[in-house]
Amino acid sequence: MKQLWIQFQRFLRYRWTLAAGVACIPLAALGDVWITKIVGDAIARLREGSDTEFLSGMFWLMMAVALVRGIFRYLQRWWIVSVSRYVEVGLKQDLFDKLVELPLSFHVQHRSGDLVSRLTSDVENVRMFLGPGLMYTGGALVMVPASLIYLLALDASVAAWMVVPLVIMGLGMKWMAPRLEKHSLAVQESAAEISHKAQEAFSGIRVIKGYAREEQQTRRFGSASAKSLHHQLELGRARGVTHAITWGSKDLTFLPILFVGGMAMMNKDLPAGDLFKFIDLIAKLFWPIIALGWMAGIYPRAVVSAGRVSELLETQPEIADPSAPIELDEVRGRLELERVSFRYPGAEREAVENVSLVVPENTVLGVVGPTGSGKSTLLNLLTRLFDASAGEIRLDGAPIKRLNLATLRGALAYVPQDSFLFSDTWRANVGFGADEPLDDATVAELADRACMAGEVATFPGGYDQKIGERGVTLSGGQRQRTCIARALAGDPRVLVLDDSLSAVDTETEAQLVRNLRSASHGRTVILAAHRLSTVRHADQIVVLSKGRIVQRGRHDELLEQPGWYADTWSRQQAQAELAGL
Amino acid sequence: MIQVVKQLKEARKAAKKAASDPDTPEEMVVGKAWDSTLARRLWREARPHHGLFYGAFAVLAVLFVLEMAGPWIIRNAIDGPVAEVIALRAQGDTPTLEQGMEGPTRELIWWALAYLACTLGMTSFRYLEVAHLTRTGQSVVHDLRVKLFKHIESLDLSWFDKRPTGSLVTRVTSDIENLGEMFTSGLVTLGFDFVRIAVLLVVLFVLHWQLALVVLALMPLLIGVSLVFRGGARNAHRAVRAKLSVLNGYLQEVLQGMRVVHVFRREARVSQRFRDLLGQYLQANVRTIVLFALFFPALDFVVNGIQAAIVWVGGLDISSGDLEVGEFFQFWLYVGMLLNPVRELGERYNVLQSAFASSERIFQVLDTQPTVASGSRARGAAVRGVIRFENVSFDYLPGVPVLQDVSFEIPAGATVAVVGATGAGKSTLANLLMRFYDPTRGRITLDGVDLREYELEELRSQFGLVLQEDFLFAGSVRENLVMERSEVSEASLARALDASRARVVLERLPQGLDAPVAERGATLSTGERQLLAIARALAGSPRIVVLDEATASVDSQTEHQIEEAQDNLLAGRSALVIAHRLSTVRKAHKILVMHRGVLREQGTHEELLRLGGIYARLHRLQFAGDGG
Repeated sequence: MKQLWIQFQRFLRYRWTLAAGVACIPLAALGDVWITKIVGDAIARLREGSDTEFLSGMFWLMMAVALVRGIFRYLQRWWIVSVSRYVEVGLKQDLFDKLVELPLSFHVQHRSGDLVSRLTSDVENVRMFLGPGLMYTGGALVMVPASLIYLLALDASVAAWMVVPLVIMGLGMKWMAPRLEKHSLAVQESAAEISHKAQEAFSGIRVIKGYAREEQQTRRFGSASAKSLHHQLELGRARGVTHAITWGSKDLTFLPILFVGGMAMMNKDLPAGDLFKFIDLIAKLFWPIIALGWMAGIYPRAVVSAGRVSELLETQPEIADPSAPIELDEVRGRLELERVSFRYPGAEREAVENVSLVVPENTVLGVVGPTGSGKSTLLNLLTRLFDASAGEIRLDGAPIKRLNLATLRGALAYVPQDSFLFSDTWRANVGFGADEPLDDATVAELADRACMAGEVATFPGGYDQKIGERGVTLSGGQRQRTCIARALAGDPRVLVLDDSLSAVDTETEAQLVRNLRSASHGRTVILAAHRLSTVRHADQIVVLSKGRIVQRGRHDELLEQPGWYADTWSRQQAQAELAGL
Repeated sequence: MIQVVKQLKEARKAAKKAASDPDTPEEMVVGKAWDSTLARRLWREARPHHGLFYGAFAVLAVLFVLEMAGPWIIRNAIDGPVAEVIALRAQGDTPTLEQGMEGPTRELIWWALAYLACTLGMTSFRYLEVAHLTRTGQSVVHDLRVKLFKHIESLDLSWFDKRPTGSLVTRVTSDIENLGEMFTSGLVTLGFDFVRIAVLLVVLFVLHWQLALVVLALMPLLIGVSLVFRGGARNAHRAVRAKLSVLNGYLQEVLQGMRVVHVFRREARVSQRFRDLLGQYLQANVRTIVLFALFFPALDFVVNGIQAAIVWVGGLDISSGDLEVGEFFQFWLYVGMLLNPVRELGERYNVLQSAFASSERIFQVLDTQPTVASGSRARGAAVRGVIRFENVSFDYLPGVPVLQDVSFEIPAGATVAVVGATGAGKSTLANLLMRFYDPTRGRITLDGVDLREYELEELRSQFGLVLQEDFLFAGSVRENLVMERSEVSEASLARALDASRARVVLERLPQGLDAPVAERGATLSTGERQLLAIARALAGSPRIVVLDEATASVDSQTEHQIEEAQDNLLAGRSALVIAHRLSTVRKAHKILVMHRGVLREQGTHEELLRLGGIYARLHRLQFAGDGG
């Protein structure tokens, strides 16, 4: 409840619009009751004989009331639902900004699916309850008492008996709501399972066909589908019960009208017009009461969702700017690591352990080692995507934790291992690395330095070619070189490459490494690589194994030592030759 | 009113724009609302469940009769006993229970009991209406879904190559679900709505033809409002969904690329972009709100108009005594029953439209036939494993040859290693041997018989396939190794685990063989996945092995284990190996040197060295020092 109240305060930012919308609710509801009254009164009077003048008057009065009622209903919906959409958008923006602000350590601990659902279904649950939910409840809370009071005044005994089925209906809805919820959740989950199974089978189609396992997969898929069918049928039955309860109780309200009302007409001279009012208002009470039950049903989910939204909004970033930052006038690019260790949250052992090294300015450091030896983690520590758990990393002598994130990250650029690019134009992707929009000459130069100019020229849209899902699909090497162009766009003093040349052919690779170093003011380059030819010209190479440095030196020196480097070099050379036939 | 027309126009424009925008998913493209060819075919597809459909119609029919009975009972009660007593009163009598009231009261009680019985009947049939219609629709959906999945699986790999997995998944998920909607709220309910409307109109005319004429005259207004607004709302909705999918897509993208955002300090820039997308989303939403805010009040207004006209016209007859009050009530309630399905026509129209679009996509898939078809020849005796490529050529795209006139033999039990640059056609050899594709020209034989003559499943069960990035399924380790193959026994699994060195992997997992494997084997390391893939191949005791060696760098201990496992896999089996390790090449009985789709050299290591060609040159370069 408290959580919902916190979110409701966002609605209060639009309090005047909201108030106007809420004010329309009783007006529209009363219009409904009024129309019934007009018709009922007309019938009562008509039985005593009437004239066309009265009838046409009644007609126009009814139309006028209907029109005014319609306008109020329109305004009510328009104002309240609009506010709820504005709140939704504001909430999504705040959540998004929070997600972007939170450090990588937060993101590796949360599955992106879960985060996305907070911005989508959780926000929608909150909006639904506080926006349209409020509107329907408000409508019902006016409509139901107003009608009942009016009917009680007409004939207390009929109205009193009518309340019984209405209560049954409300209680039935409330009783069924969690069951409906449970079954529809099961249906959703089984649908997700179907989708997973299909996704898996279609991605692994080679293995399935290769082992002639089509029938087995069909059985797997069939059982997922049968499970979904089962849940669908259960949901269908629950819906059937709900449907029967609501409509059944509506039908049942006619019984007291028929019998008690009929008796009242016989005994007490209840006018036929009043009986009509009972019949007509029942139909109008039907939806508001269902809405009340529905609200009671979605309330628990809205509370949970509001809690999840607040939880995310209140998360504080662990990696933040220091309180008394050191200012660096000019970054030169000397890096020092002193006994640096790091362990991922929940991991059994250190991913990086006791690493010490110095990278003088304008030199190239190569970081190599088998898969899982900690190369990427070490690079992440340099950029403060994660903070080292022990030891210290210094840039130009200043501990990086004492630098503003903007200073640190402004000085270095990073090329990720997964060659992540946005589904946007080539130019926009490269421009992502620069503070200012890039002019054509600069874009061309960057393409050239990333050894990509020739290929970009073949794109139908040139530099403005959209890439990714709905544009041209880049090859692995092209993605990597685009990422490099992006990193060079900011003209960084320190360049960090996380195995980002693996898909580039060896000849281009040599050219690229030369281009990376060249900058008017010199540049420090850190290259993690799985292919050793990438680092062979580095000024210094460290070999990592299980997070520790096991060998270090220049290429020639390492070749002469027996060990992982020399072994891997000869194996990779042979492989390269095999592949290069 | 001008405002409304403007909103409608804009909604249509936005929908059109969305339809032509390549960013719009194909699910949002508008289709026809009725297509009798498709409808007939769907009805045929549902044949095993026709009984359920007839049942559904029966349920709806009984329910309809009961629904019609309610107002009839009310009318009879009011115009019968109640009117009788009122008439007595009008004559100045004061009837008491003993006198004048006894008969009418009893009659009223009977009518009330009849109404109660009717209500109970309706309630049970209302349950059946929903439960049975769900059963009908979902049974068809289940059948069609499995059928479609099975069919997709049988299609050629070249068909898969051209389609993103996501769109295939959509076929068996949301497209199929749309069809389910169509079978229930489309065909059955809509079909019955027409019956309902027709019967009610007839009844209304019989009851009071002047009033019925009034209703009939005003009904097109209601249908018009319903269709016009629904059309607009559908377009606006579609625009909202398109914007929302762009918005969520961007959110997912940013989450995925969070490292890049952070390191380049572009938090403000992505936030601004998200703000822009939110703005577009909001704008599209505002249009929907206006339309919906107008739609319901407008419908109600038309309904009120019809009611007011009924009172006006009917009122004259009531006052003249030509129309009994009970009869008027009955008429009033029937009009309510008539207008509900008419109001919902627009909604049903939307359901049909998206369902027909979906079914068209589904039938497109079902109508595609695999070209790699199964032969009829069952494996006679045990396969010896002599494989021969005879002048095989292949192209994925006409005019772009991938293999040209390749001929070689893999003798029974021999390992043949293929070397060559990326794109030389190495993988294509493996793909053709597995019959993932068929050669464009030439033929491949196994034990002297063309592969195309074998029964496909029988043929493939002779192979053990290990891919460079092998695919593991979500499930347990055991499920992944056995894959429900009848030829895999506990004993052969145990042998495979030993021979493949995969025991090492199991020892690390607390639950051993029953340890869960995450989707695509994400919880296992590269080396572990490779060992399991080899174990999977070994477990089937295949006669022929197709192996695409992995290239990823693992630590030297794992490297050694993989090499041993591979040796055990190849021993005594006919094998085609795409080799990345020099040790594999050296040990092979025969080496194929591929270059741009042409088989340039073949022979043993020594023969090729003597030949003095490409292979020999490579070897000299590489092993000049160690005397190879």
